Amino acid sequence: MNRVGYYPGCSLHATARDYQESIDGITALLGLELAEIPDWNCCGATAAHAIAHDVSLGLCVRNLHRAEQQGLDVVVPCALCFHELKVAQKAVLEDGWNKAPQFPFEGKIQVYDLLAFLAQDQWLDKFKERVVKPLKDLKAVCYYGCQVARPPAVTGSKTPENPMDMEKVVEACGARPLDWSHKTDCCGASHSIPRPDIVYRLVGDIYDRALETGAQAIIVSCQMCQANLDMYQKEISAERGRDYLIPIIYFTELMGAAAGLDETKVWMGRHFVDPRPILEVS
Amino acid sequence: MSDKGNGKPVGSAVVAGAGIAGMEAALDLAAQGIKVDLIDRDISIGGVMAQLDKTFPTNDCSTCMISPKLIEVASDPNITIHTRTEISEIRGEPGDFKVHLHKEPRFVDLDICTGCGECIEVCPIELPADFNEGLNKRKAIYKHFPQAVPAQVAIDKHGQSPCKMACPAGIAVQGYVGLISQGRYKEALRVIRRDNPMPVICGRVCTHPCETACMRGQVDQPIAIRDLKKFLTEWEMAQGEMDLPQVKDKREDRVAIVGAGPAGLTAGYYLALEGFQVTIYEALPVAGGMLRVGIPDYRLPPEMLDYEIEYIQKVGVEIKYNQRLGVDFTIEDLKAQGYAAVFVGVGAQECRFLGIPNEEADGVYPGVDFLRDVALGQAQSPGNKVVVFGGGNVAIDAARSALRLGSEEVTILYRRTRAEMPAYDDEVEEALEEGVKIDFLVAPVKFAVENGRITGVECIRMELGQADASGRRRPVPVEGSEFTFPCDGALTSIGQWPDAGCLDSCSLEVNRWNCLEVDPITFRTNIEGVFAGGDDVTGAATAIEAIAAGKEAAISIQRFIEGRDMSEGREKNWVAAEPDTEGVAKKPRRKPPSLPPEGRTSGWQEVVGSLSEEEAREEASRCLACAGCSECLLCEVTCKVGAIRHNDVPRDEVVEAGAVIMAPGFEVFDAGLKPELGYGRYPNVITSIEFERINSASGPTGGHVVRPSDQTEPKRIAWLQCVGSRDPSIGQDYCSYVCCMYATKQAIIAGEHLGEVETSIFFMDIRAQGKGFDRYYERAKNERGVRYVRSHISRVTQDPRTMDLRIHYFDEAGELQEEVFDLVVLSVGLRPHRAAQDMARRLGLETDEFGFSKVQDVNPLLTNKEGVFACGVFQGPKDIPETVTQAAGAAGQAAELLGAARGSLIETPVYPDELDILDQEPRVGVFVCHCGINIASVVDVESVREYAKTLPHVVFADDLLFTCSTDSLDGIAEAIKEQKLNRVIVASCSPRTHEPLFRDTLRKAGLNPYLFEMANIRDQCSWVHQGDHPAATEKAKDLIRMAVARALMLQPLHEITVKVDQKGLVVGGGAAGLTAALSLADQGFETVLVEKSDKLGGLALRLSKTPQGLDIPAYVEGLIARAKSHPRLTIMTQAEVAGVKGAIGRFTARIKKGGETIEQGCGAVILAVGGSEFQPQEYLAGDERVTTQLVFGEELKAGGELPDKVVMIQCVGSRDEENPYCSRVCCTKACLNALALKEANPKAQVTILYRDIRTYSTKEKVYREARQKGVRFIRYEPEEKPTVEAAEEGLLVSVFDQGLRERLLIQADRLVLSAAVRPNPEAHQVASKLKLPLDSDGFFMEAHLKLRPVDFAAQGYFLAGLAHGPKFIEESVAQAKGAAGRAAAVLSQEERQVGGEVSVIDPTKCVRCLTCLRTCPYDVPLIGPDNFPVIDPAACQGCGSCVSACPRQAITLGHHTDGQILAKETALQI
Repeated sequence: MNRVGYYPGCSLHATARDYQESIDGITALLGLELAEIPDWNCCGATAAHAIAHDVSLGLCVRNLHRAEQQGLDVVVPCALCFHELKVAQKAVLEDGWNKAPQFPFEGKIQVYDLLAFLAQDQWLDKFKERVVKPLKDLKAVCYYGCQVARPPAVTGSKTPENPMDMEKVVEACGARPLDWSHKTDCCGASHSIPRPDIVYRLVGDIYDRALETGAQAIIVSCQMCQANLDMYQKEISAERGRDYLIPIIYFTELMGAAAGLDETKVWMGRHFVDPRPILEVS
Repeated sequence: MSDKGNGKPVGSAVVAGAGIAGMEAALDLAAQGIKVDLIDRDISIGGVMAQLDKTFPTNDCSTCMISPKLIEVASDPNITIHTRTEISEIRGEPGDFKVHLHKEPRFVDLDICTGCGECIEVCPIELPADFNEGLNKRKAIYKHFPQAVPAQVAIDKHGQSPCKMACPAGIAVQGYVGLISQGRYKEALRVIRRDNPMPVICGRVCTHPCETACMRGQVDQPIAIRDLKKFLTEWEMAQGEMDLPQVKDKREDRVAIVGAGPAGLTAGYYLALEGFQVTIYEALPVAGGMLRVGIPDYRLPPEMLDYEIEYIQKVGVEIKYNQRLGVDFTIEDLKAQGYAAVFVGVGAQECRFLGIPNEEADGVYPGVDFLRDVALGQAQSPGNKVVVFGGGNVAIDAARSALRLGSEEVTILYRRTRAEMPAYDDEVEEALEEGVKIDFLVAPVKFAVENGRITGVECIRMELGQADASGRRRPVPVEGSEFTFPCDGALTSIGQWPDAGCLDSCSLEVNRWNCLEVDPITFRTNIEGVFAGGDDVTGAATAIEAIAAGKEAAISIQRFIEGRDMSEGREKNWVAAEPDTEGVAKKPRRKPPSLPPEGRTSGWQEVVGSLSEEEAREEASRCLACAGCSECLLCEVTCKVGAIRHNDVPRDEVVEAGAVIMAPGFEVFDAGLKPELGYGRYPNVITSIEFERINSASGPTGGHVVRPSDQTEPKRIAWLQCVGSRDPSIGQDYCSYVCCMYATKQAIIAGEHLGEVETSIFFMDIRAQGKGFDRYYERAKNERGVRYVRSHISRVTQDPRTMDLRIHYFDEAGELQEEVFDLVVLSVGLRPHRAAQDMARRLGLETDEFGFSKVQDVNPLLTNKEGVFACGVFQGPKDIPETVTQAAGAAGQAAELLGAARGSLIETPVYPDELDILDQEPRVGVFVCHCGINIASVVDVESVREYAKTLPHVVFADDLLFTCSTDSLDGIAEAIKEQKLNRVIVASCSPRTHEPLFRDTLRKAGLNPYLFEMANIRDQCSWVHQGDHPAATEKAKDLIRMAVARALMLQPLHEITVKVDQKGLVVGGGAAGLTAALSLADQGFETVLVEKSDKLGGLALRLSKTPQGLDIPAYVEGLIARAKSHPRLTIMTQAEVAGVKGAIGRFTARIKKGGETIEQGCGAVILAVGGSEFQPQEYLAGDERVTTQLVFGEELKAGGELPDKVVMIQCVGSRDEENPYCSRVCCTKACLNALALKEANPKAQVTILYRDIRTYSTKEKVYREARQKGVRFIRYEPEEKPTVEAAEEGLLVSVFDQGLRERLLIQADRLVLSAAVRPNPEAHQVASKLKLPLDSDGFFMEAHLKLRPVDFAAQGYFLAGLAHGPKFIEESVAQAKGAAGRAAAVLSQEERQVGGEVSVIDPTKCVRCLTCLRTCPYDVPLIGPDNFPVIDPAACQGCGSCVSACPRQAITLGHHTDGQILAKETALQI
């Protein structure tokens, strides 16, 4: 299958343009066509799910309905969107939720997290053939955040506490993924405005542990994590009296670097902490 | 007794599972004269208890407790142990079952193996030691631990290793790789040569299909098997000596072989080994076939081939050169010369033609011919610009050879792509490195020729079309793509076939490819006595295939000559092993060095180098040992008694059994299912069972407590409780019973091992409900500094630098806390063993939602299948004493069914009359054991034997390989008779394990068994003095001299036979007493039940339901009714036992009833005098609104108006300073009463004030239900006990809530006190009348807390019910069944043998000081009729305490007299 449905979510059209562009670059490299769901709508992750459960389910069921009409499985790059869509899928297919009858959904299509999708053997093997510049000297930790794998009842993950998909990708890029205990910790992204103190503590702990592990970079698959881990490095450094400045790299960007894609330097150019020097991308 | 079956039941039983439960049940049954088949899925018995280090609450060593049990089971003639066995089916009726057993092979003959362990030493395969929970390695042939029973070894096989299966010659690759990793190169080479006589060649040019199949490839890269083989051969060459094999005696038969290629040489080698006279006829002036003339020197230096051919010649193969079949001789000629058989291995050396125009022109050179000419030094450069056609190894070799002969440009033209090239990848790479070019998808059409010599080749481009028969895509010409490739030389190598001419000459059948037709298994041709194999059969193939064919043909030829069936048993039904490659750490493959590409082509030097020794060992250690046993057969070669059976197969067996006892046990919870705790991910997170092994002296670290990551001693250890227990999220919603206590024990022991260590236990409730448990817990907390943290664990994370672990948890107040530890132990729960669940399913036994045996009755031992009983953890989570109690109960229960058939299947050995030796001079025989090499490798056994002959009175001495083997025992008996020996000494191992065996031999030879003495020259000599052989030999002599000195003093001892009064006496008519009495009566024994009150039934009649909802009073009424009408049961109410005289088997009890005293004889006494409920004085006791749980339960049962607001207070009279024990039942009882109230009065509010909720095992469900139904649980600390006030509006209960950290005031209209269970108020009087001990809580004390929970130390007395301690009725019933079973073991014997090794008082020396009476731990000495103390031989245990205590030395212990001991001592001084 070389064509798959795509639900970008709102941030990939806006703040996470770098992520979107790297996704486009990598899927083009692999010959995978992303068919954006026609007329998709917000997944409701930010407000709806906390305020009105049925509304948040309804929003996602509409998206699922549209995807099913398109007749293609859906991949979702954003961890929050993925989570919301999976919650709705479970509600309809397993728990009999039926408050949006105008958007029937029968479960003929699957919903994939983008990382899990690309980490499947068929795509990873294809990618390995395209690696021209193995990132031999890079040691990195993979950071999944809290929602890609958990809760397993929703995500279907078999290893919710110790997911390994991103490690497979990093290894395929020729780099060395390091095991660490914080890969599924929360980064506190949703608290970044009201309670930056919490965020600084959580993110600071993640930095510390990544550095103790010996990582030169943190690889991520969620634009919220990326932003949260990348943006406040100066502030957190100041608060904790330590110079962090760790590159926070999308796994798709890493793939771009290993495949020698020229655009990689453009994608990475938008980061707060510039990953290009350690990847020798210029 | 069964009244359902037709006629008499079968006098045997099957016990499934040989852990402590199964062993106990088997021993109890056997003691009653019931034959037992004891089965276990493992290779030895003992179960999980054998793995434990210490046991709680006594900190006794587990091994020390279980080892004697193991021996007892092993030496019981009525117990047959079946290992690796499961029940597949039970047919028939209770009392007469046919039990179908499925037995997996051990691959070792148990009747022959002596357990010496030499095979373990030589085995090259190391596997994770399952007995040590995989913390270290053991061999593929193994015992779990030195004292294991059966003592024999077993082999683990998981199928065939993929490497071996892929190897055409079927070499035990995994075996020699394992040997290399251990540095055992000579043995490794022998393993190879057993299946392949050409390791030198195969180490260089083999296409190594083994590496392609290697499972290591799924982790990183395959093992470099070929390089390892090469390393081995170079090692041998460096040693400078060929390791030639043993050749069998020369035979008359001669075999001719045509062709000295790999097939012919191999066939010749194996035939020569068998003693045949082999002659090879070779067409060329050199041997080696294509290896010699087809493979260039830079791949296979000729001297290497010479070495290998010399090796084969040295075993006796003769080669005749320049003898071409069809030219110089024919097959007929050979037959005429008297060869018994002929093998044809002429190869396939004729090049196939391209079949295009001008192929015959100058400059076109068949590749094979070219290579042959190169090898023979006759080749010229094929041209300056050379093309090579083909994609196989010949093409590559031809191209590279051309470069070495000076061709400037060499291009291979191949009609398919790189992916389809049959040539080996490395060769292609090397060719490219050297400058060979390859043009793909090109086919030749015609050679361009000028002046008879080629100038180029016309070619056409190809593309790949549909797949052809070979599975490769067929190349199809692209029209119009023709082009000309200029060249002045061409080498064609598109395949070979055999020389048609020579084959035609001998009327051998060929196929359309010109290859010989042979039988695929036997390699015989159409001509009788003629065999063929190798390339002439397969067409051009690999060396290893030719070798395989040669080897197989040799087998056929031998069978042919011997007139045996050639095909029988030669089909290979191999099943591939599938190892788990998950989680194997990556480690890259070692690559040998190779010559730099520059300059390589200027000569013929070997391109690929060799691995160094260090690299080879490291590379070999990457092997995953897929198959377990590699079948290298080293064990078979080493075993001196021939006990190894590599071809063993699974077997099914049917045994007859009247009853079946299920004791299949448990496995621990898989901690990986709680991933947040990091087990399997962080090395310093381990399970509790792993910690047991780490603590154990026989464990992987020899008892040195270190953490796995860095082998350092931990300073801070945390235990996390309830991993896999009390956890509904993973379906484990029950309490595992033992974890709180074993964690406490482990914390204490860790402190003892490590000294400075902080131990913390993170828990929800401490469950110390067993006897002595709470005291143990308090001691750990208050005296041993163990910290207990009431908490909920969130997760564990690891510091990547230190590997320390951070525990994130919520404390009781709900605050998130973090703490760092060096080592985290997960207290994993118990779950029914998977195999047990499968077995239950197969046999149709019902299980509960967790897989435990489903409770059917108040009697928990019953299953849904009549005649099948359950006990141990299979019945539900429990500790060792509970397990042993149930096992004894199950045995008793089975005996009820089989009582009538007792003894029917038991064979009593018949011994000859004893020789009278009293007036004879001592004639001593000494037998010195080699114990394989256990003794002989250290002690000079022969010199010890000779020394023994010099000792006084020694008339005979011998040395034996294994004294304990059957033939040796026969030899000893023979020597006794022939040499008229009257004292026998065996110098071998421990009397603890072997004395009974040798004593039995003496009896069989007519000697009194006490005329035997052992010298332990193994455990006490060869094992501990391995480093000093001469001194060890001297010590062995000393030990034997001492043994002889004592033996001279030995006297025959005789046991006395006493009649057993086969009646039972049960004291107490409650549920336990009734159950025990009925069980005895059902087993066929007249029984008297004495009850003090006027009514049977006791406390149980006041109870309502079990946690499973079964009606208790109805059950007890049923017991009473049956007891009253039982023909063998006499009930005496309002009666009391005033005293008991006599000893086991013949007691006399004085029973007082209504002023009369009756004397009642009996053989065993069961005490079941019950307990009582504590009557509290605190908490406004006496107020009518304040009641106890027992009374409240009766109120609930009665119905009527029930209160709305109820507060219950737990631990009233329990766990306080005065009564520091837990009453066990109150937590569950409170929950049950709360639920009953809620059901009757749904609006009722219940609050339970508790300290720890102890709803252990599946009673946890009751607690959960109570919480779900809204019962409130508030924890209080004993220092801040609740207070109660009576007020207008009701009772006001004030309590400080530990969770909320606030004081609460609760209004109640009823206060229910969970009052303690107390002993029977008259327990003290009973104890003193019967001289039975009480524990410090006033309950009766059993003989041993762990292993003898229903016995009193005084023999013949047994114990059951509340008299023993607080318990639920189902536990009382099980215990009563156990007591009855144990008592039946006494009563079932008509007579007992007593005396022998017992104490005897010499009245002439005795001064009646009564020291012996005070000293005897069993209260045996009594004042006799003549006012002197006497020791009843029937009661004496032979411990010797009185002997050492007697100030007048008036007491002698038989077989251990002062004279005997002094003689031994004195002999040492000499």
